[in-house]
Amino acid sequence: MSARTNILWAVVAVAFIVFLLSPIVLLVVFSFTSRTLTNFPIEGLTFRWWQEMVVTRQFWPSFANSLIIGSCVAVVSAAVGTLAAMGLAGMPKRRASIIMGALTLPVMLPPLVLGVSLLSFYVSLGLKLGLATVIPSHLLFAQPFVILIVHARMINFDHRVVESARDLGATPLQAFLTVTLPIIRPVVIGAALIAAALSIDDFIITFFTIGTGNTLPTLVWGMIRTGLTPSVNAIGTLILLLTIGSTVIALKLTRYRG
Amino acid sequence: MESRSNYWLVAPSALIFCALFIAPMAFFAVLSFWQVEYFELSTEPTLANYRDVFANYWRVMGFTVVVATATALLTTALGFVFSFLARFRAVEWAQALLFIVLITLFGGYLMKIYAWKTILGNEGVLNSALLALGVISSPITSLLYSPQAVVVTLMHFSLPFAVLPIYASMRGIADSEVEAARDLGAGRWPILSTVIVPRCQSGIVAAFSFVFLIVGGDYVTPLLVGGKLTMIGNLIAPQFGAQFNWPLGAAMSIVMLAAAVIVIYLFRLLVALWSRQ
Repeated sequence: MSARTNILWAVVAVAFIVFLLSPIVLLVVFSFTSRTLTNFPIEGLTFRWWQEMVVTRQFWPSFANSLIIGSCVAVVSAAVGTLAAMGLAGMPKRRASIIMGALTLPVMLPPLVLGVSLLSFYVSLGLKLGLATVIPSHLLFAQPFVILIVHARMINFDHRVVESARDLGATPLQAFLTVTLPIIRPVVIGAALIAAALSIDDFIITFFTIGTGNTLPTLVWGMIRTGLTPSVNAIGTLILLLTIGSTVIALKLTRYRG
Repeated sequence: MESRSNYWLVAPSALIFCALFIAPMAFFAVLSFWQVEYFELSTEPTLANYRDVFANYWRVMGFTVVVATATALLTTALGFVFSFLARFRAVEWAQALLFIVLITLFGGYLMKIYAWKTILGNEGVLNSALLALGVISSPITSLLYSPQAVVVTLMHFSLPFAVLPIYASMRGIADSEVEAARDLGAGRWPILSTVIVPRCQSGIVAAFSFVFLIVGGDYVTPLLVGGKLTMIGNLIAPQFGAQFNWPLGAAMSIVMLAAAVIVIYLFRLLVALWSRQ
């Protein structure tokens, strides 16, 4: 390959990285700049917007809701997703991929359709909208990711170690707790963190299934709709910190690359 | 492991799936044949909502399909170039490139759209930067609140969904296959078009489908960066809020999904035709 095409591809690579990351980076930068308008030139740096954020009405309850929902979704989807991934890994390949395809359908559907269908379903059943309706709704789109990630690990799992434990007299549960789980633990934790990131990041499904409360994204939505204040950048940065932070840790733990 | 117990292990996930996906979607489909009368749901089956969608909302539906098709084609092409880069041209950077794609996949949906609003505004990041650099003397006012702004924003947050399936299928192509084609005298374009694209068929179709569905159902992007532009999502969402017409909203959603299925099917045919030539 000639040097010219190499340079061309390097330019393409840089362009992609700038396109993907610059909006996110700008958001973070402008949460620290002094002017009220989010634009250039940058005149000074300040923590003003972060201070404004913590005294925003609704900020703390929204933050708490995001954390409660995120951790519940992480724990429950990790548990049911890991069980399902183990079950699927033990099935004939074709059948496993059909079941996995079906369970992944909720991720294929536009979140708006999922959100409004869940809303009308819950209300028709007479359920009161709140955290109790948001959490199961998030499970629906979080569990496929857990299943995919843990399944990718389980198909390379050496089943002989479990068989030896069983031969030595361990019950299936004992074998799972003392052999299987310690081996796959990093992957399960990583998958749980991805589920938490998806849950904390979700806006549309939360918006339709939460009723009157707020999470960080629905709070941001309210603020954007009523006018631009730079403290939106601060809350946005906080959301990114939570979601991208847990994703980075998760990718390190799982070594998952698509 | 006994095979019966494998099904029990999947049961909790399957229960969540059936109770919160199959049941609500079935109810949603039934809902689309009901009507609202005096703020009450009337369960008398009728096709009125579907007639309403085709008679009064076909323009918005058509516009949505055009925007979604354009965005899906562009994003799939970008996703293909990105995957090609990571798989064949910058193998040592592949891990890092994919890492960036994955972290942008899992975080910041609403924040990305909001960021584009601040970038493209009249007093936004782009205009202020160009003004400060002296490239332009007055702000470009047509950046925000335009179809282009909507498409760019949608492309930005759907790109990871296009990269992942295409890259996954490109990883399945061995270097030896490409080398064999080259040894047989194939040039750069023939290799791309007759070896690489056909082998990525499923990834390309998956990428297109993901992006089309994300875009077809999005209503936040047109609201924040589209100005007066209306996509079908902007009509569906209020039916479940202020407008209170669930059945009409359900019918709109189902027509949109049906349109998506048709477009995706046509795209699949196109890719299959390309690969067979």
